[in-house]
Amino acid sequence: MLVPVLGTIFLIVTYPFVLAIIQSLQATNGGAFVGLQNYVIGLENPLLYEALAATGIYAALVMPTEILLGLGLALLVHRTVKSPALRAVFFAMAIVPLVIPPIAVGVIARLIYAPGYGALNHILMLTGVIHDEINWLGQPITAMPAVASVDVWQWTPFVYLVLFSGFLTVPHEEIEAAQVDGASGWSQFWHIELIYLRPLLVLIIFFRLADVLRVFDHVFILTGGGPGNTTQLLSLYLYRVEFKFSDTGQAAALAVVVLVAVSVLYSLVTRVLPLERR
Amino acid sequence: MTTWTKTLALAMLGLVVIASCQAAAPGGGNKPAQLTIAAVQGNEDAALKAVAPLYEQKTGIKIQVVEFPYDQLYEKLVTTFKANAATYDLVMMDDPWMPKFGTDESLQPLDSSYGFKRDSDIPDVVYDVGTWPPPRGAVPPAAKGKPQHLIGITIVGNVEMFMYRSDMGPAPKTWDEVKANADKNKKSNFYGYVIRGKATNPIVADFLPILWSFGGDVFDQNWNVTIDNAASLRAVKFLVQDLKAAAPTGSESIDAADRDRLMATGQAYQTTVWPGEITDVIENAQVSQVKGKVSYIPMPAGPSGKGIGMMGNWLLGIPKASPNGQAAADFITWLTSSETQKTYVDKGGIPARKSILNDATLNQKNPYFAALAKSLDAVPNWRPRTDQWNAVETILGTNLNAALAGTVTPEAAVTKAADQIKTQMKNAGY
Repeated sequence: MLVPVLGTIFLIVTYPFVLAIIQSLQATNGGAFVGLQNYVIGLENPLLYEALAATGIYAALVMPTEILLGLGLALLVHRTVKSPALRAVFFAMAIVPLVIPPIAVGVIARLIYAPGYGALNHILMLTGVIHDEINWLGQPITAMPAVASVDVWQWTPFVYLVLFSGFLTVPHEEIEAAQVDGASGWSQFWHIELIYLRPLLVLIIFFRLADVLRVFDHVFILTGGGPGNTTQLLSLYLYRVEFKFSDTGQAAALAVVVLVAVSVLYSLVTRVLPLERR
Repeated sequence: MTTWTKTLALAMLGLVVIASCQAAAPGGGNKPAQLTIAAVQGNEDAALKAVAPLYEQKTGIKIQVVEFPYDQLYEKLVTTFKANAATYDLVMMDDPWMPKFGTDESLQPLDSSYGFKRDSDIPDVVYDVGTWPPPRGAVPPAAKGKPQHLIGITIVGNVEMFMYRSDMGPAPKTWDEVKANADKNKKSNFYGYVIRGKATNPIVADFLPILWSFGGDVFDQNWNVTIDNAASLRAVKFLVQDLKAAAPTGSESIDAADRDRLMATGQAYQTTVWPGEITDVIENAQVSQVKGKVSYIPMPAGPSGKGIGMMGNWLLGIPKASPNGQAAADFITWLTSSETQKTYVDKGGIPARKSILNDATLNQKNPYFAALAKSLDAVPNWRPRTDQWNAVETILGTNLNAALAGTVTPEAAVTKAADQIKTQMKNAGY
């Protein structure tokens, strides 16, 4: 009975992973066994650490922002909007950014931030907020937030949808009992609702972390990793190692390292934020 | 074993044998029902798609064009060739990809296998760019001594040129005049020059003609890195300091679509340009406010006394695994013939034939043809013919972009780029 399931898992998960390990131990040209040489070359390259740092900054910008914004929105709608029709409208609106292809989101963002004709500078200048164009994508200090803002726009609705469904699972009796006891809105949220949301928050962190490691399209369109290497995130770096540097061995080695590192990171997340309510 | 089972087993064996024979047929002499072409999505394949139905009318062979965005096409070709999959009968390739596919022997030779010969109506440089190993310039160590073969035929005769607002001033003959015109014409919301400065490929494509015109280069004839020599550094400074002074804020993230928009909306005076941008935007009355106000010329001269354009030809090649080689070769012959090229140009195609480029009637409709013909006559440079070019371009383009953004000095940028390129080339056996 288990054979089809195990077979599917083997084909989808185990086989590619084993293949990646084999490739990581082979020379790119010729396929000769080279031991850990690809790992050494990959880990010695300073560009890897620049990409990791850029990915860390990106994650630090987008994840807290998306979680706080999504949580705030979910709480606001849960507490203030009681009409099912209106809730359905918010639901539909939240779905829209999620179904737009990332490449299209990148193109739209480019129209907002582009030098010369970008909508954001135009609006800011029209309203008198600024007098000279801001070089959103060309300066390290603004390029990363500009790129991150696109992620926040696209993925905050996902956090909202998940957490809003979480709010709906909180038992009314507990909230009503707390209200009878005179608990404030904040106390209700902190001591009751947040406890129920905790497993969902772990789920969100899992999903968003995986997504952050895969971010590619809009960064590629907006900055191409620039200025310099400022926005060259890990996925863009791995893409370049494989397809620009044609170094299959090193790309496979780095993919294995990333997979192991992410597995460790995930186990840490589950320890800090356990899936079961306590 | 029952008779029925034996019959079934024999029938299956027969099918396997027939199928094996089909797959093993060299060159694929049989007429296929369809030819599948992997093509780049955009203005480069628009004319190909437009004329493809004519071939079906003529021969009964359907032409299926499968399109990919630029980077995805390269990835798709690399993985398809690596797997030796017979997915495509023909592939469109940017000319800097030829060394990679030539070195990997991913393509069928068009001369020895299908009898392709040079046509005197097509400039030699156009054939040279599709020949591997390269017939002139530095040859990669792995390709030295190998017989030369034509492995790709140009179907988009791209050469990078220069455009300027001819309603506002005369044509610049030198890069010094470009700089002077940029400073003179720069004013509020009007830029004297547009730099295509986005990291990696865009900024390198914009910079190489300037580099060559200043007497610099990325490599010398023996693959020694020369991007940090005096002439090359001078070219870098000219781009990231002199021209930047008259360029829009945010040049570091400007790509071709942005510069087209700036030119087409009348916000810029001059810049470099590829033919596809001219037909798609600048001379397209539906989107351009400057149609008829812009002129096209070959690259201005630098301190070296020469103005050197850059090739960006798109070629058609036949993958080694294609089972329909002869039919694919017949299609290339038909597509590049003088007769088909007239229709091809009418549909927006960019030709390489001299007779088409110098045709007076066609010149009126396509104001860049004369400049393209002159650029081809002057023998434009190609990007260094090494299978490491993608890596070199990424390194150079990242460091140039940093210099343009002002996060590093031009000196630091060329030193870092040179060091990284040397390591890359050394590891690749150069």
